[in-house]
Amino acid sequence: MLPNRSRLSVLVFLLPPLLLYGVAVLFPIMQSLFLSFFSWNGISDMEFVGLANYVRMLTGDDIFWRSFFNALGYLAICLVLQLGGALLVASLLTSMRRGRELIKTLYLLPAVISTVAIAFLFVRIYSIEPVGLLNQLLHWIGLGALERPWLSDIHTVLAAVSAPEGWRFTGLYMLIIYAALLSVPQELEEAARLDGASRWQLFTKIRFPHIMPVWITTTIMATTYGLRGFDIPYLMTNGGPGQSSELLTTYMYKTAFTSTDFGYASTIAVFIVVECLVAVGLILFMLKRKADA
Amino acid sequence: MKKLFRTAAVAAAAALALAGCGSGGASDPSNVSPTGEVKAREISWLLSRPADGAVINIMKKLADDYAKDHPGFSLNLITTPDRPSYIQKLETLAAANKLPELFDTDATPFAQQLAKQGKMVDAEKLLKSLDVYDDYRPSALDYQRFDDGSLHMIPFQFELEFVWYNKALLQKAGVSVPKSLDDLPAMCTALRNAGITPIAIDGQDQWPLERYVAYQPFRDAGPDFIQKLKKGEAKFSDPAGKKTVEWLASLGKAKCFQDGFSSQGYSDAQNQFTSGQAAMYNIGTWELPSLATDKLNPTVRDDIDFFTLPTTEGSVTAANEFVSPSGIGMAVNAKTYDPLVSDFLKFALEKYPSEYAATGALSPTTNVETAVPANATPLYKKALEMANDLGDEQAMPWDTQLDPTTNGRLQQELVLLVQGNITPEQFTSTMDSTIAQNAPKFFK
Repeated sequence: MLPNRSRLSVLVFLLPPLLLYGVAVLFPIMQSLFLSFFSWNGISDMEFVGLANYVRMLTGDDIFWRSFFNALGYLAICLVLQLGGALLVASLLTSMRRGRELIKTLYLLPAVISTVAIAFLFVRIYSIEPVGLLNQLLHWIGLGALERPWLSDIHTVLAAVSAPEGWRFTGLYMLIIYAALLSVPQELEEAARLDGASRWQLFTKIRFPHIMPVWITTTIMATTYGLRGFDIPYLMTNGGPGQSSELLTTYMYKTAFTSTDFGYASTIAVFIVVECLVAVGLILFMLKRKADA
Repeated sequence: MKKLFRTAAVAAAAALALAGCGSGGASDPSNVSPTGEVKAREISWLLSRPADGAVINIMKKLADDYAKDHPGFSLNLITTPDRPSYIQKLETLAAANKLPELFDTDATPFAQQLAKQGKMVDAEKLLKSLDVYDDYRPSALDYQRFDDGSLHMIPFQFELEFVWYNKALLQKAGVSVPKSLDDLPAMCTALRNAGITPIAIDGQDQWPLERYVAYQPFRDAGPDFIQKLKKGEAKFSDPAGKKTVEWLASLGKAKCFQDGFSSQGYSDAQNQFTSGQAAMYNIGTWELPSLATDKLNPTVRDDIDFFTLPTTEGSVTAANEFVSPSGIGMAVNAKTYDPLVSDFLKFALEKYPSEYAATGALSPTTNVETAVPANATPLYKKALEMANDLGDEQAMPWDTQLDPTTNGRLQQELVLLVQGNITPEQFTSTMDSTIAQNAPKFFK
């Protein structure tokens, strides 16, 4: 227990960031909540509509549900690429003798490139007229039948806009997981190996349980980043063709700043906040249950 | 908790807007001759035009000239050439009641609401009081008018939209210039069979494809169709609407546009046409410097020509009536309108047309002659001369007419329709219900 005086000083130091957080984060959320009960286009008089925006969102808006499921698909692809890819690369790195630093740097590189540059880069990679890198590669390896305008095909566009986002942060999560893997006690692994454990058993019984706390953190980070994904899909396709790559975030942005329907956009914003909280709760719940089992 | 920042951004904009809600424009928008002393200060123009384009360069020069006699005056030009970003900026500033002295806007439903609230000076009265109203081409002013005929924006350009084509490619495919819009699908098939991309289009910016949906109804039912459609008084299920939907689906089926057009941009499309890969390209006279001068790729230079929007059988509009926009207009903020703004506009609007015409562009007025640049091909003059023989009607681009939500949905559904991802019936029912849902809010 801290003596009284130092408790006061702790409060004094904690208060300013708390205030900043309140003004920059909590206040706007409350404001959104408030606005979501109104119909307002920015220049008209605000009209109280009660729960009408929520009813419209949940029952009468096909684009909302479409973007919700798109967002889940986007999240799934990002998570597989970021966490799966990161775990794979990090595991391989630990068994490498030379060149680790180089590989680490190369994998991390995309994370420091600006989003706009990445979006333009991938628009070119996916292009068909003029032929982009991906279609050219498919052609060279004899899979010419698969050549297509990846960003114009409604069946491939969602995966095509998710991949760059997954790709750019794989290196970042790889670094975090790699650091965690390094902390696995060598003597444990050696003992297991002497007992005849296979590489797979070594991984599932010793390494993975050991990095669990870090894994939880990275999962939460990647999920919340994935749910608020916006820039790359917005820049590459603007949600199109049709609504094939529309995410909740891009739809909310368009509703607010193109349709000037600030009330309804706030309703979607409130939904995204709730969705993020539910996702984090779900991850914690599932991982905790797994750890207890 | 970073995930919440996005939400915060929207709410912050909204909060900003709330703060500005209380104070409305106090001045009378029809009072175009404010009395009092001209006090020099800095005024701002929020605009959406190319940063080194003729309009900005000339207005900068005129502002400098004006500042010589009025020390302390300056014109702050804030340009956002990307139109969707610009519209977002404008709408946010309007919501915050922080619009500058001058700002660009099309005659959109949103702008009409601003005008109704008395936030824009009556441009017809303003131009008349400056004694320049009669200099303007009537169609240049009509383009800027709202549905009720009122005028609140001043045009700075005058453009004609043509279908540019490559004679050699058409010949190779054994087709000729279409006599009717209905000839286009068959023409595309023939061009595709000859291994040629029929039409190069900038799908990324969406407005170029939206032009095509306007053509058939303009020929079939005249300019009133969109006026009725946007209010829900006409429908895509009406004969004129049905025709355009089926025509667009047939353009898609004939693979008229380049593969993957929806993710290709303005310069991609232009490059395909100017490099001789695509046979047709629908664009306005603002591209004359790149299509009708020696800047054009020499291998196609002698093969390029243009035709105007084809008519159809039983067309109610004439061949010399097509899309002839006067560009985004400039509105004058009623709240900040004072003797200085009035005096500067008088100075600038009198001098602007001759300066603008000297750059080789069509002036929105008829009192000046456009100078043909020295490096122009004969096509340049031919294009300019089309402006002398225009009919009374003009096809309005639909993106300036529809309410923003319907417009956004239309742009999305059009791509799906042309790509063959949805049927004409699905398109019709989606769009008719979208209009029914959104139009009443904007056009009550």
